[in-house]
Amino acid sequence: MTMSPQLTTHGATQRIVLESGEPERKGRRRREKVKVARHLMDNRTAYLMIAPMVILLGIFVFWPLVYSFYLSTFEISFYTDPEFVGLQFYRYVLEDPKFWHAIWIGAQYAIYVVPIMLVIAFLIASFIRTVGIKLAGLLKTTVYIPTVVSAVVASIIFVFMYRSDGGIVNWLLSFVGLGPYAFLSNPDLALPAISVPGIWLAFGITTLIMLAGMYDIPESYYEAAQLEGANYFQRTFYITIPLMKNVLLYLLVTATIGALQQFELPLIMTGGGPTNATMTPNLFIFNTFKDPTPYATSFSLTAALILFFVLGTVSVLIFKLINSDKAIDG
Amino acid sequence: MHKRNSRLALTAVAVATASALLAGCSSGTAPTTADGKQKVIFWQQKFEDYQQAWFKKNVEAFNKSQDQVEVEYVVVPADTWDQKLKAAQAAGKAPDVKTTNYGNVKPMQANGQLADLTQLMDAEDFDDIKPNVKEFVTVDGGVYGYPLLVEPSTVLFYRTDLFEKAGIDAPPTSWDELIEDARKLTSGKVKGMNIAQTAPDLGWSSWGLQYNVAGDLPLRGDWSEASATDPAYKELAEFYQTLYTEKLMPQEATYGYADCSFFGEGSVAMSACGSWALGQLAGNPDWKNVNENFAVAPFPSYDGDPTRPTATLGGWTLTIDSKSKVAEGAAEFVDYLVADDPQRMVEFFAASGFSKYAARASVDEALAADEEASSNPYMKIISEQIVAHAKGEPAYPWDVSLAFATAIEKSMRGGDIDASLKEAQDAIAGVIEKQKLAGTAPGN
Repeated sequence: MTMSPQLTTHGATQRIVLESGEPERKGRRRREKVKVARHLMDNRTAYLMIAPMVILLGIFVFWPLVYSFYLSTFEISFYTDPEFVGLQFYRYVLEDPKFWHAIWIGAQYAIYVVPIMLVIAFLIASFIRTVGIKLAGLLKTTVYIPTVVSAVVASIIFVFMYRSDGGIVNWLLSFVGLGPYAFLSNPDLALPAISVPGIWLAFGITTLIMLAGMYDIPESYYEAAQLEGANYFQRTFYITIPLMKNVLLYLLVTATIGALQQFELPLIMTGGGPTNATMTPNLFIFNTFKDPTPYATSFSLTAALILFFVLGTVSVLIFKLINSDKAIDG
Repeated sequence: MHKRNSRLALTAVAVATASALLAGCSSGTAPTTADGKQKVIFWQQKFEDYQQAWFKKNVEAFNKSQDQVEVEYVVVPADTWDQKLKAAQAAGKAPDVKTTNYGNVKPMQANGQLADLTQLMDAEDFDDIKPNVKEFVTVDGGVYGYPLLVEPSTVLFYRTDLFEKAGIDAPPTSWDELIEDARKLTSGKVKGMNIAQTAPDLGWSSWGLQYNVAGDLPLRGDWSEASATDPAYKELAEFYQTLYTEKLMPQEATYGYADCSFFGEGSVAMSACGSWALGQLAGNPDWKNVNENFAVAPFPSYDGDPTRPTATLGGWTLTIDSKSKVAEGAAEFVDYLVADDPQRMVEFFAASGFSKYAARASVDEALAADEEASSNPYMKIISEQIVAHAKGEPAYPWDVSLAFATAIEKSMRGGDIDASLKEAQDAIAGVIEKQKLAGTAPGN
């Protein structure tokens, strides 16, 4: 595994100090002086190296975030003086059934997309791992193609595919005597229907990341297991999956958060309808923002901040449920 | 100690960088062009191509006609309009002049976004505006948008050839008749009727029918309480529900309400569309068969009474931003474009295929004198039978319309009507409370 425990700057410093400390036992003062100086030098280098990132994060992430919290305590108007309302908008958002409905839709979308995508990606990655280099190269390029397709383009193509009058999906279904279905106009079918392009768009990159994780598992493990008579499923469940735990965890968290934040597909394919059946949280916030009233501006800002907390909580929960191991090393 | 110093140093660097970045955001004086003219930014929401052509031509003509003001013309697509405008307002870079629909004039005025045009333009410019239209843009004696046009939101388009084939001799006059006709006309791939079916479309296209069936909207009077559970609306929801669940209309919204393509393509025998669809139909050579075989009628009243409103008068105005630093130059441009020479507007309406209607008395007179306009077969029906009874768009927030439209959509797709209307009632009550609407209705 690539995720081996890293040496921290602090640990490295201690080791250097211990190593260099031996010949200088005579002068206690002198020894301390050297220790401090090296320690400081290392720290300074470390600070300098992280400084650009800290500054950029400060300007583009932390400051806007803090300022957003500050602004969310006002009813913001771009034309009149903003009115301080305290945490009123937090109450409005938390009391709004439409907000919670949107979170639920986002969660449903994640439930449709994430497991299916991970399983498909895992199966494809397992397959690619078994084939020769040339074919693997071709397959890797092929599965990656959906990732470079714009979600907007994919949405439009899928809208045409789903049309009840002449769409290819209904045409295919007609051969088995089904349909036609108005997929995007039926509240029960619309969310599963937009999940399909969601899976299609995301599985390529997921496959490649899984494949990278799989290539990192030493071949000798599998050889040993095969000698012991382990079949494919045993090798998968006892070697591949445990050793890919961190990769899978990363993919699970990013895919879940990505799914909860889905925006383009419902925006273009359904506009959040029918009857709000595809109104994902981001689309809900976006639609609220469009009204020209100060209420709409503050409401959408506060809803976005609350969504930030919801997503943060989801990530923490996933990390808690599946403990990540820092030190699994293949 | 050193650590603290480093932290302080980092903070200082961060603050300095942020200040340097933010320094570029200061506001200045009135913007001017390189040759010293006042620079007026004009945003037009993208409509049919002929409108862009008309605006472009007239902006160029205005720029050439004088040497004080230079208008920069920007076309903004409709689906990105709201967020672009808000982002520009937040950055203090809102356009000086923009197209604004009637429904937004009063909410924007209430928020202090619009300049009072009576302070910037001549009084006679306002006397020319038709009295019913003037109401849409007037608040406490101030006029906050100069009307460009009006267009009824709902007109019944029907195929004369298919009517004849089905043995129907006249367009329907009541909702029962309409449903009956739709049943007769639905055959094979052709549906009998088309009407809006998604909440965002129903939100505005059903205002006229809300007035029709209940005499008023679900938020009425001084806006202190919701009336979505008014029993009359049940009939409205049933009307939509019957059309959809009996499959008398297309089952998916391939085209939005503003786009009359279902009718143009010949996949429906009747369609509710805005008057602007006349321009759309005439402008598409592929729809020749439909073009030669259709007529228009007022949308039927629920009980057959033709004097009830069935449409709202939508339409567009030009507004000036209250923060504009070149408000006078902007007003000069608005005056030139829409309040001055009636012939300029006649050109506009001719280009629209007379699918939109004048908001000024002088333009109406000029149109009456225009041979092409007076011989148009649809103008008379639409202006005398539809526009005459039409209502203005509500000034309340869109959330209210959307909540009610969501109830109609749920009913349409087979949901329980009473439960849907109750949900809308609660949602509107929430909007009244949170947006502090009680007692704020304009004119109350």
